[in-house]
Amino acid sequence: MTKDVDVLIIGAGASGAAFAWSMADTRMRILCLEQGDWMNPADYPSTRRDWEVRMDREFSPNPNIRRRPEDYPVNDSDSPISVLNFNGVGGSTILYAAHFPRPHPSDFRVRSLDGVADDWPIDYATLEPYYALNDRQMGVAGLAGDPAYPPHEPPLPHVPLGLAGETMARGFNALGWHWWPSDTAIATRDYAGRAACVNLGPCKSGCAQGAKSTVDITYWPVARRAGVQLRTRCRVREILVDDKDMATGVVYYDELGVEHLQRAEVVVLACNGVGTPRLLLNSRSARFPDGLANRSGLVGKNLMLHPWGMVRGTFDAPLESYLGPLSCCILSQQFYETDRNRGFVRGYNMQVTRGLGPVATARIGVARGDIPWGEGHHEAFARRYGRQIGVGICCEDLPEECNTVTLDPTLKDTNGIPAPKITYRLSENTERMLRHGLERGTEVMQAASAWDIYSDGPVRQTGWHLLGTARMGEDPGRSVVNAWGRSHDVKNLFIIDGSVFVTSGGVNPTPTIQAMALYIADVMKQRLANLFD
Amino acid sequence: MSKDSVEITDSGQRVILDIVLNMIVPPSADGRMPGAAEVGVPAYLVAEAADALPLLRQELEQIERRSRERFARGFAELEQGERKNLIGEMRAQASAFMHRLAMETLACYYQHERVVEGLGREARAPYPKGYQVVPGDLSLLEPVRARGKIYRDAP
Repeated sequence: MTKDVDVLIIGAGASGAAFAWSMADTRMRILCLEQGDWMNPADYPSTRRDWEVRMDREFSPNPNIRRRPEDYPVNDSDSPISVLNFNGVGGSTILYAAHFPRPHPSDFRVRSLDGVADDWPIDYATLEPYYALNDRQMGVAGLAGDPAYPPHEPPLPHVPLGLAGETMARGFNALGWHWWPSDTAIATRDYAGRAACVNLGPCKSGCAQGAKSTVDITYWPVARRAGVQLRTRCRVREILVDDKDMATGVVYYDELGVEHLQRAEVVVLACNGVGTPRLLLNSRSARFPDGLANRSGLVGKNLMLHPWGMVRGTFDAPLESYLGPLSCCILSQQFYETDRNRGFVRGYNMQVTRGLGPVATARIGVARGDIPWGEGHHEAFARRYGRQIGVGICCEDLPEECNTVTLDPTLKDTNGIPAPKITYRLSENTERMLRHGLERGTEVMQAASAWDIYSDGPVRQTGWHLLGTARMGEDPGRSVVNAWGRSHDVKNLFIIDGSVFVTSGGVNPTPTIQAMALYIADVMKQRLANLFD
Repeated sequence: MSKDSVEITDSGQRVILDIVLNMIVPPSADGRMPGAAEVGVPAYLVAEAADALPLLRQELEQIERRSRERFARGFAELEQGERKNLIGEMRAQASAFMHRLAMETLACYYQHERVVEGLGREARAPYPKGYQVVPGDLSLLEPVRARGKIYRDAP
């Protein structure tokens, strides 16, 4: 048996790292178990000439393709969108785009403003100081003054627009639509001991420069220096509870498959919207026959994935559009807030992405029939390479109990632990929103003078944002955790990841996940004397 | 053994494979870009697509058999138009395999140093040197600023 700890965090990704850093000043015995390992930046694809191929193989964001020993499989056959993630110190921040927009104040008041879903039990104003703190700790680049947001000031200058960003900016301006340089978790100048971004490009396969703000190089070094222990290649099988409905610790397997018992006073789940419900559902007991902390029946339900559309256009002018952080450039929130005249409620973010590398340009062009085999191949390729720009459509999908994470009856990971199964469909509201977004994306491409425009959605390999499967709320019958992440059913069990989202907003969730983790840590510290009351 | 001489097929099949590869990406007329048969695709397939090799051999056999049935000549002896027709049929009938072969070939081709240099870029890893990107003209934001606030206040 291992030494008992005060706080046991499961998962060393975006939320677990921020939480550990914040809790370190309590001087409690804090341990984090992470099923993956530390990453070596020298291994990232951008250190190699064949970076485009490596991105699609061992650095694929899809665990079913990547298949590292530390990954668990996900049955996504009943979903038009595949689950994407990364398992390691840093979690999915290792492979994320680092696109870092905040939600709007209205995202926390969906029921009050738009009559759908539920309001969050907390609001934007409550989280704002934690967004700002997280921006500083992570190192976030951007430009103050965006009229789509309440005032905030990113600590670092925005990423370069490049010719591609300027081209799309002119398109948005021609239509009179909003656009702004994206908030981006990239050190655009030397920051906190990290070297500035040098525009390697393939941020979504790990940043060899260390400029992308991944939590293995932001929060974790500081947290560990402050005494937090991080134990890697440890896969938790189940959380244990006593007959008073209190968590007592976990059972986990180490790298060699040896089973261990780790006792803890407080257990904190930070495995995000698929890993967290999977672990809770795998933690069945006589007192919790339907899964731990699941007396509401809502663990694993209300999965939200942000259905994603993509519009791509080709331009006559050479734009060197393959240069710069691949997915971070400018955004538009022209269609973010509800306007019922559009035929749907809520809205979407438009994220301008840069052009593709030569391999992806050729593969997509040939697959689409735009670039032929044989005669004319080189000419068609040259007309596209460096001249293409993308507009991603990030749709808010509302919570629906039919969209679920359950346990697959047969699929298991390498330790024999049941794997998650995803059951997911787009609602009619989301379908309408996605169509609207693809049409508007096409419109802005036309306004920017693109000549070859195509669109697709929902794009399958885009299930990064895993939200809502252990939602927060005041009513134990309608939620899994309270307004500060504590399980209604198990008073020393906390959830601090994307599972607790009540609604999804229409933006990348990592800033909110981390702000929530910092907020929950602060509330816990304020309530240490009566944390379980 | 050099990378380009990795034997995944017999010599007859290798000739057919090289012809097919150059049908996917031929050398450019100005000589700046090599054909796909010149960039080490067989070695790439061994390293990155080993699961496809048995099917590759079967499909190359099939190409040769069809050529002899249709034209009473081996594939290597066909005229360009005849090859194009035959491979066109194969693309229609064995589309999954031919698509896979094309995708793997393009991956190998467009990361080869001769090709990258032919595109006018340095054949190197992005790290550590990185690239320069123009910062962009922020005066383009003036009309956005002028329109003012677009987010809703929340109760």
